[in-house]
Amino acid sequence: MHISLKKELKQSHIGKAGIIILVLVITLAILAPFLSRYNPGQQSTASLLSPSGVHWLGTNQIGQDIWSQLLYGARTSLLVGFGVGIFSLILSVLFGISAALVGGLYDKIVMRIVDAFIVIPMVVVVILVAAYIKPDLPVLILLLAVLSWQGGARVIRAQALSLKESGHINASRTFGAGQLYIAWRHIVPDMGPILLVEFIYGVRRAVFMEAGLAFLGIGDPMLVSWGTMMRDAMKFSYLDVWRWWLVPAGVALSLTIIGLTFISHATESVLDPRLRGGAVA
Amino acid sequence: MLEIKDLRVSYGDDTVLDGLDLDLADGETLAIIGESGAGKTTLGMSIMRLVEGKVQGSILFNGQDILSLADKEIQDLRWNRIAMVFQNVNNVLNPVHKVLDQVAEPMIEHKLRSKDEARTKAGELLTQFGLSPKRFSAYPHQLSGGEQQRVLLAMAFANNPDLLILDEPLSSLDVTTREELGNLLGKIDGHRATLVITHDLDTVSRLSQKLAVLYGGRIVEIGLTDEVMRYPKHPYTRALIRAYPNMTTVKDLQGIKGRMARPVSGCPFHPRCTQAIEKCSTEVPPLIIQTQGRLVACHRGGIVTLLSAVNLSRSFGSLKAVDSVSLHIETGETLALVGQSGSGKTTLAKTIMGLYRPSNGTIYLEGKKLGRWGKDFYKRVQMIFQNPGESLSHRLSVLELVMEPLEVQRMGTREERRKRAVQTIGEVELPQTEAFLNTYPHHLSGGELQRVAIARALVLEPDLLIADEPTAFLDASVGAKILKLLLNLQEHRGLSMLYITHDIAAARKVSDRIAVMLEGRVIEEGLSNEIVTAPKQAYTRKLLGSASALKRFKTASNT
Repeated sequence: MHISLKKELKQSHIGKAGIIILVLVITLAILAPFLSRYNPGQQSTASLLSPSGVHWLGTNQIGQDIWSQLLYGARTSLLVGFGVGIFSLILSVLFGISAALVGGLYDKIVMRIVDAFIVIPMVVVVILVAAYIKPDLPVLILLLAVLSWQGGARVIRAQALSLKESGHINASRTFGAGQLYIAWRHIVPDMGPILLVEFIYGVRRAVFMEAGLAFLGIGDPMLVSWGTMMRDAMKFSYLDVWRWWLVPAGVALSLTIIGLTFISHATESVLDPRLRGGAVA
Repeated sequence: MLEIKDLRVSYGDDTVLDGLDLDLADGETLAIIGESGAGKTTLGMSIMRLVEGKVQGSILFNGQDILSLADKEIQDLRWNRIAMVFQNVNNVLNPVHKVLDQVAEPMIEHKLRSKDEARTKAGELLTQFGLSPKRFSAYPHQLSGGEQQRVLLAMAFANNPDLLILDEPLSSLDVTTREELGNLLGKIDGHRATLVITHDLDTVSRLSQKLAVLYGGRIVEIGLTDEVMRYPKHPYTRALIRAYPNMTTVKDLQGIKGRMARPVSGCPFHPRCTQAIEKCSTEVPPLIIQTQGRLVACHRGGIVTLLSAVNLSRSFGSLKAVDSVSLHIETGETLALVGQSGSGKTTLAKTIMGLYRPSNGTIYLEGKKLGRWGKDFYKRVQMIFQNPGESLSHRLSVLELVMEPLEVQRMGTREERRKRAVQTIGEVELPQTEAFLNTYPHHLSGGELQRVAIARALVLEPDLLIADEPTAFLDASVGAKILKLLLNLQEHRGLSMLYITHDIAAARKVSDRIAVMLEGRVIEEGLSNEIVTAPKQAYTRKLLGSASALKRFKTASNT
C-alpha cells in the first residue's frame, strides 16, 4: 500500500477545490497560445476597447489584448511562484536540517542569520533590492528565494530537532546510519507534510510578491503580469474599463492564492497516515 | 597413579578416542562427562583393557603401561586392583548364580580370602550398599534394577581396588535410590582413585571433586567440579550444563545446536560452536591452562568475553544516570540488567550503543577498546528498544523496515537484501506473505511490532543483542513467546544478550547472570541462581520479595 497523494487529496473537499482551481490556472497558462489570438505584448492602435468578439476582454491603454495578457500573466505568476517555492524550500531544508543535525556553533550561526532576516520586513528588503538591481525573471526568482527561506528553515529545524531524538531515528543510528542517510531517508520524508505546506506557502507568497512588485512598478516592465495589469488599470479607474481590466486580473490572482491556500490546508492531514480516518490494510 | 597419554582408540575407521590425555591421582575422584557417543565408555574399557578396537598411546597405572602388559599380568590387575562397574546392569550378572556367590567369587578366584571369609565379606559389602540380607540368595533376575546396581557396586569393591571405574553408576536409578547410593559411594571412597563416567551432571556433582569434559574423543575442559559447574569455560561445557534439567540453575533449558559428528577436522566441537573461527576447523586446539587449575582446549581461550564496560558513566547535568558501571558479557550468554525504572538501565544501554556519549569510562569489544561507534560496531551489536512502535518508522512497510539495516550497512544487492530480510522475518515467526510484507506498522499488533523490531536487529546477524524491556508492552502469553524466541536464537546463533528488565522473575528465566542496578550503579552481580536464592543486598531481596509469584509463601524466606 502506497499513499497516493492525488487519491487522498481528492477525499478532502477543500483540497479538491484547491486542486481544481490550481489545475484550471495551470491549464490556462499552458494553453495560453491556443486560447487567445493575440500576443500579449503586441500593440495596436485600438486602445481601451470594450469587450467584443474580437477582443474578449477588450484592450488596454496601448492596445494590447487583455484576455491574452490575463493568460500569459498566469504563466509569470506560476513560474515565479513555483520557482521560488522550490528554491526557497531547498534552502530551508538544507539549512534547517543541517543546523538541527550538526548543532553547535554551526547551528548558532545559521539561526542568527535566520533571525536577522526575519526581524527585517521582507517586503521592504525586496522592494529596495529589486528597485536597485531591476531584476529580470530568473533573477527575480532567485532574489525572492534567497529572501524567503528563513522562516521555513526555522520551522524545519525545530521539527528536525524533535525528530532526531525519536525512536526510529535512534534505531536507524544503531544500524550505523550516518547523518546524511538519516536526513535524506528519514527526516525529509517524515517531514513530507510540513515540507509540502512550506512549499505551497512559499509559492503563494511568491505569487503575491511578484504581483505586488509588478503593481508597484518595480522589476521588468516588459514582463506580462497580473500586478502590472492592475497597476495600469488603476490609472484608468475613472473609466468603466476596471470591470474587464482590473477585476479579471484581481480575481485571477485571488483565485490562484485561494487555490494554493486550500491545498496547503488539506495537505497536512493527508500526508500523515496516522491522521487519516479508517483502517486500510 | 593413572596417567593416560595420547590415547587413541578406533573401531575400523571410526576413531572414538582421539589423542586423550588424563591424569588421576590417589584419592581423587574424577568425573568424565560427555554426551552419548563421546567415547566415555570406551575410555573406561581401555583402562580395563577390554576394548576390542585398535588402541594406541599409553595408559600408565602406577608406572606400568597397561597396554603393553602380558595377558596374565592384566588379569591380575583387572578386578583386583582396577575394578569397573558397567553401565548395562542386565548383562553383567551371571543369571545362574546367587548374588552373594557372585560378589564373593572374585575374592575367591584371586585367592585373597578363603571361601567362608569371602562370603562373609561379600555379605558385609552388600549390606553396606543397602541390600537386605533376605535378598542375598536371590538370583539376579529376581532383583530390581536398583538392587542389581547395589550388587554390582559391592562386586567392584570386593577386592578393594586401587582404581575404581564407575560407568554411569547412578543413571538408571530412580532419584531416591540415586540419592542413597550416591551418598554411600561418597562415604566409601577413601584413598582409592575413582573415575566416574557419566552423562549425568547430578552424578558428577554428587561424586566428583574434579571434572573432565569429553567431546568427540578429546577432553575439552578439566577443572574442579564446583568451579567448572559454576563458571564453565568451554562453550560445550556451558551448553551441556544449560541442557541439563536441575534444581539449581534457573534459566530455561537450552539444547545444543546440531549433532555430534565424527570425524571432524580441527576442534571436534567447532561445527556446533557459536564462536568458532577459521582456525577451529583446521587445527586441533591443545588442552592448556587458561586460569588457575583449569585446562581448556579452545583456540579462543574458552568462552570469549564479547563486550565489557569499565567504569562507564553518563551524566545529565548534575544527575549521574549511570555511575561508573563495570560489566561484561560473554558470547552466547545472557546478562540480565535488573532494576526499577529510573535506575539507569536504559541510559546504560543507550550509552553502550553510542546514542549517548559516555561521560567517562571505556567499552571493549572482544578486548579491543572501542574508539568510535561505526558501522562495524553496529554490525555486531544491536538493540531492541523499549517501545517497538516508536522505533519503527510509520512511513515504511514491514519489508522496508527489515531491509533498512542492510541498506545502511550497504550489504548485498537489493535482491539479496530482500531475500535476507524475508528470511529473517520468517525466523521471528512472522508471516512471509506479500500482504504482510507490505503492511505498515500502524496496522500491526504489539507482538508483531516487537517481532519486526527483533527482525530488524537480527537481520545483521549481530553477536550481541541489547534488549530493553522487550516484553514491557506485551501481554504475558505474547511476551513469553518473544522470550522463547530470543532464547532459541541464542541456542542457534550463540547470540549474547543484555536483557534489560525491571522484572527479576523474567530475568531468572532467561539469564545466566544477573546484575542489579540501583541509582545508576550495579550493586550486585552474579550467577542468576545465586542472586535469586542468596541475594547479598537488601535491595535485591526487596526486588525478589515484590516479584510476581502465583502463590505467596508467608515464611520469611526473604529476610
